[in-house]
Amino acid sequence: MSLLSVRGVESGYGDMQVLYGIDLDVEAGQIITIIGPNGAGKSTLMKTVFGLLKPTKGRIEFEGREITGLSADRIVRRGLAYVPQVENIFPSLTVCENLEMGVFIGDRVPLGRLDQIYELFPSLVTRKRMRVGKMSGGERQMVAMGRALMLDPRLLMLDEPSAALAPNFTATIFERIVAINKAGTAILIVEQNAKESLRISHRGCVFAAGLKCFEDSGPAILANKDIGRLYLGGE
Amino acid sequence: MEVLARIPQLLVYGLVSGSILSLGGIGVSLTYSILGFSNFAHGDVMALGAYLALALLPLMSAAGISNHPLGSLSFGLDFVAALVLATMGTCAVGLVLDRVLFRRLRGAGRITLMIATVGVALGLRNVLQFFWGPQPRYYSAKIQLAAVIPGLGIRIKPDQVFIVSTAVGLAVLLHLFLRYTKIGKAMRATADNASLARISGINTERVIAWTWIIGSALAAVAGVLIGIENKFVTPELGWQMLLPIFAAVILGGFGNPYGAVVGGMAVGVSEEVSTAFISAAYKPAVAFVILILMLLARPTGLLGRRS
Repeated sequence: MSLLSVRGVESGYGDMQVLYGIDLDVEAGQIITIIGPNGAGKSTLMKTVFGLLKPTKGRIEFEGREITGLSADRIVRRGLAYVPQVENIFPSLTVCENLEMGVFIGDRVPLGRLDQIYELFPSLVTRKRMRVGKMSGGERQMVAMGRALMLDPRLLMLDEPSAALAPNFTATIFERIVAINKAGTAILIVEQNAKESLRISHRGCVFAAGLKCFEDSGPAILANKDIGRLYLGGE
Repeated sequence: MEVLARIPQLLVYGLVSGSILSLGGIGVSLTYSILGFSNFAHGDVMALGAYLALALLPLMSAAGISNHPLGSLSFGLDFVAALVLATMGTCAVGLVLDRVLFRRLRGAGRITLMIATVGVALGLRNVLQFFWGPQPRYYSAKIQLAAVIPGLGIRIKPDQVFIVSTAVGLAVLLHLFLRYTKIGKAMRATADNASLARISGINTERVIAWTWIIGSALAAVAGVLIGIENKFVTPELGWQMLLPIFAAVILGGFGNPYGAVVGGMAVGVSEEVSTAFISAAYKPAVAFVILILMLLARPTGLLGRRS
């Protein structure tokens, strides 16, 4: 049984259909990267899985239980977490408060978990009381991921985690993603600049025009000349 | 020189009316930041609180609560009890309004929501007029003498001290609530980014319910405080406050409750101090002028975020 199973999902924004029957499986403990051009439906799939868009057709299961069309706060309770590409932090709240919002559904803030997050992102420790709105793009991305990890989800979905980051931050973020995965969390990543992401992925999928057109292991996709030419910017 | 000598006294009056404006403004600001619309019914919710206290007052004495004046205040424990119950009643009305009307309009356009709040405003005002009539109704017939602060020559009534300290106390409580409680932090998070709040698992409907509770409670207290200051209430009292309240909220920065307090004090003081130079009949125009100047010079307000 897959951790996340997406079957024949069609979805979109109002009258504008974006996904035309997506099938996708994420196995427990794996990292999967979805690549593809703008408008292929990568982000739309994440929003649909997380209940922000209602699918018009298809079925989504998490750990064998259907989650199709559930509201976001109920999906969080099932053990999924999601970091959107933009506006993924609460700017007027401090780092610590941002992380606390990640465990709103719990009765109290698990202090041990808070320490684990600071261990994962040590540069946040000295800025616990700083407003996140004043921080750099890389630091914001760390806060956003930390917020999503507070409930120790079994699947973490990251929408373009390296977009608009300085190169040195990109390396740090991917290194952290591997660390999160080693601790037992499956990760679904959507990326446009996908080479880095495919290098750490167990599997990769290519989306085009609302359909999954190709799937293989991460290294195999990196080695595939056609995909390299079409989607990864040449050699 | 004679004009300048009056200014310290007018500052005190400004502080009193500013306190009331601040309490009203906080609710408008919270509603805007979390629900995303301007609540034009807020003034009439204030009037509702004032009339509920008026209606409950005789029941309090009947229930055996002393009506002996507290210290040098013009009212007794019965009035304080009526104030508390009226506040709770107004909260209940706020929650019901959300449940039967505004919940159905979640995601509707701003214009639709604005018109809905105008409808609620007219509805509430006419209900008050239906039950209590258009004529002024008096909280108390007693006349209170102002005490003179020695040395400064400023006159202030004990009731006015009560008004200012109630407003300051409630603003501090609200600050502690927003800063340190879980639901308070969730309110700030939802105001920042409602969709991320949902993704984080925050129950935004609970946040919205608290927004109505806090906004309605502070409105009810503000309404009763107007009644204490003026000695009487009319069904129009909230509607008349709406313009200076919106001026205060815009001055402070729309959607920022701290800005509402700063803006409320600034508008209150400006209105009162203006009477040293121009006729008191122009007081409402002063709020208008502040509103227009602020919108021209800095539309995001004093404490607003520049985007």
